[in-house]
Amino acid sequence: MTNKNIRLTQTVKGAGCAAKLAPGDLARALCGLDLPVDQNLLVGLDQADDAGVYRVSDDVALVQTIDFFPPMVDDPYSFGQIAAANALSDVYAMGGTPKTAMNIVAFPSKTMDISVLRTIIDGGLSKMREAGVVLVGGHTVEDSELKYGLSVTGYIHPNRILTKKNLQTGDYLILTKPLGTGIVSTAIKAGMADQSLIDRVTLAMATLNREAALVMETFSVHACTDITGFGFLGHLAEMVVDSGHGVRIRSALVPMYSEALEWADMGLIPAGTYNNRSFRGAFVDFDTNVPQRVQDLLFDPQTSGGLLIAVAANEAVKLVDALKAKGIDAAAIVGEVVAEPVERIVVE
Amino acid sequence: MINDLDCRGMNCPEPVLHVRNIIIKESPASLSVLVDNEAACQNVCRFFEHQNFQVITEKLGTEFRIVGTRVDVAKVPEIPFPAVAVKELRVGVKKIMVLVTSDYMGHGDDGLGDMLMFNFLKTLKEMGPDLWRLVFVNRGVSFTAEGSEAVPILQELAGEGVQIFACGACLAYFHILDKIQVGEITNMLDIITGMKLADSVITI
Repeated sequence: MTNKNIRLTQTVKGAGCAAKLAPGDLARALCGLDLPVDQNLLVGLDQADDAGVYRVSDDVALVQTIDFFPPMVDDPYSFGQIAAANALSDVYAMGGTPKTAMNIVAFPSKTMDISVLRTIIDGGLSKMREAGVVLVGGHTVEDSELKYGLSVTGYIHPNRILTKKNLQTGDYLILTKPLGTGIVSTAIKAGMADQSLIDRVTLAMATLNREAALVMETFSVHACTDITGFGFLGHLAEMVVDSGHGVRIRSALVPMYSEALEWADMGLIPAGTYNNRSFRGAFVDFDTNVPQRVQDLLFDPQTSGGLLIAVAANEAVKLVDALKAKGIDAAAIVGEVVAEPVERIVVE
Repeated sequence: MINDLDCRGMNCPEPVLHVRNIIIKESPASLSVLVDNEAACQNVCRFFEHQNFQVITEKLGTEFRIVGTRVDVAKVPEIPFPAVAVKELRVGVKKIMVLVTSDYMGHGDDGLGDMLMFNFLKTLKEMGPDLWRLVFVNRGVSFTAEGSEAVPILQELAGEGVQIFACGACLAYFHILDKIQVGEITNMLDIITGMKLADSVITI
């Protein structure tokens, strides 16, 4: 048992695959529960947003979130980085600044060398340092399968919370990272991805959404979310539901890993993709010319995906340019908010 | 009957990998696979189809049996294509988008430019079925509006299945939004989507 030879994705059942509880199941578990009420809870469970927000004073609110999952890449250090970037992302998507974090770990110490855990946490710490976040503690349990993530707390001004709601007709939608990490993770697990692609996708997943969040602060952004387990269309559906608006997506403009498109044709598709489609497919009208493989990627569960930003149309091109100037090369306008049809996602 | 390949209890991507291995090693004429979840079923179906197998699935309670049968490519019957459908679909080899940004062609003499542009639009149909989309912006939108001699030419192109678009902001700028006679009103995002979808874009 050494650090060097272990392939983390071979030690777990679900990588991108089955990591997240199917969204329909989660909705059934939470539906109708009696949630405590507090007027300082500005964003809570009922809104299904990226993170919870609690007002401490007129100027300060706490942003809190937690995320953890089994490994989707084989390298422990990269896994730590990706899990941390993924957990921090929810705070950025709310427009907040992460400040503290706690490790959450499930570790199979009987079958895996403890040095693997050290390397994972070291990877996580590298991202916390980059984000200016301090590690304040954590909790580790023995488990048959490895899982790692963070609970993150940040600050935000109570009047500057960026939620999923507040789409406005005419807004353009901007996505900051390519889609397809779920399918790529499945291909990695299958041993079919070459190293250069693994490196490229690993780097993208380990990239913090911090720069993107800093850039968008200076633009007229109306709504934002980050794309993770429910997939692009799943998270977009959360923006559209009860918004009083509809959305038109130009699938040809959505950044995607071309290799993932090929693997979709071959059936290397994580179960999460099908779950996302059956949960949110009812909101989506696909134009007949949108290929099946593209539809798959639009529902593909993402690990540490990009931000999806709704911005005033006249600022959209400038925002994309500003994102690209910060090295966020994949940033692209992918659609627009429309008045009709209400609460539908039309994909062309 | 061939034995089932038992992929029950397997998570993605294992069923697909097992099927793939057997197809590579044994190249069977047909293969029957048993899986116990919907995702695995769909993935195995796709893999079969990707490998040119014909697929039949059968639901057995909570399980699925998928039978893939190799299709001999040479023997695939040609699906008859109704002539009218060919016309509607515009089966060009390429998708060419032509972006018309002005009401005259080239610089030098505007009168000559007018004539050239009109002649260009008249002759454009010679591009054949590869001509996919014709987009008018700036002064170019005047060709789509009442009073332009180009309207019947564009209507003819539209009748042949060429998609014709006029920039809405431009029509509004020149106060002819309500005068449009041919084509659909478009916006910048549509234009950019078109540029991305097109195999080539020609700007006039």
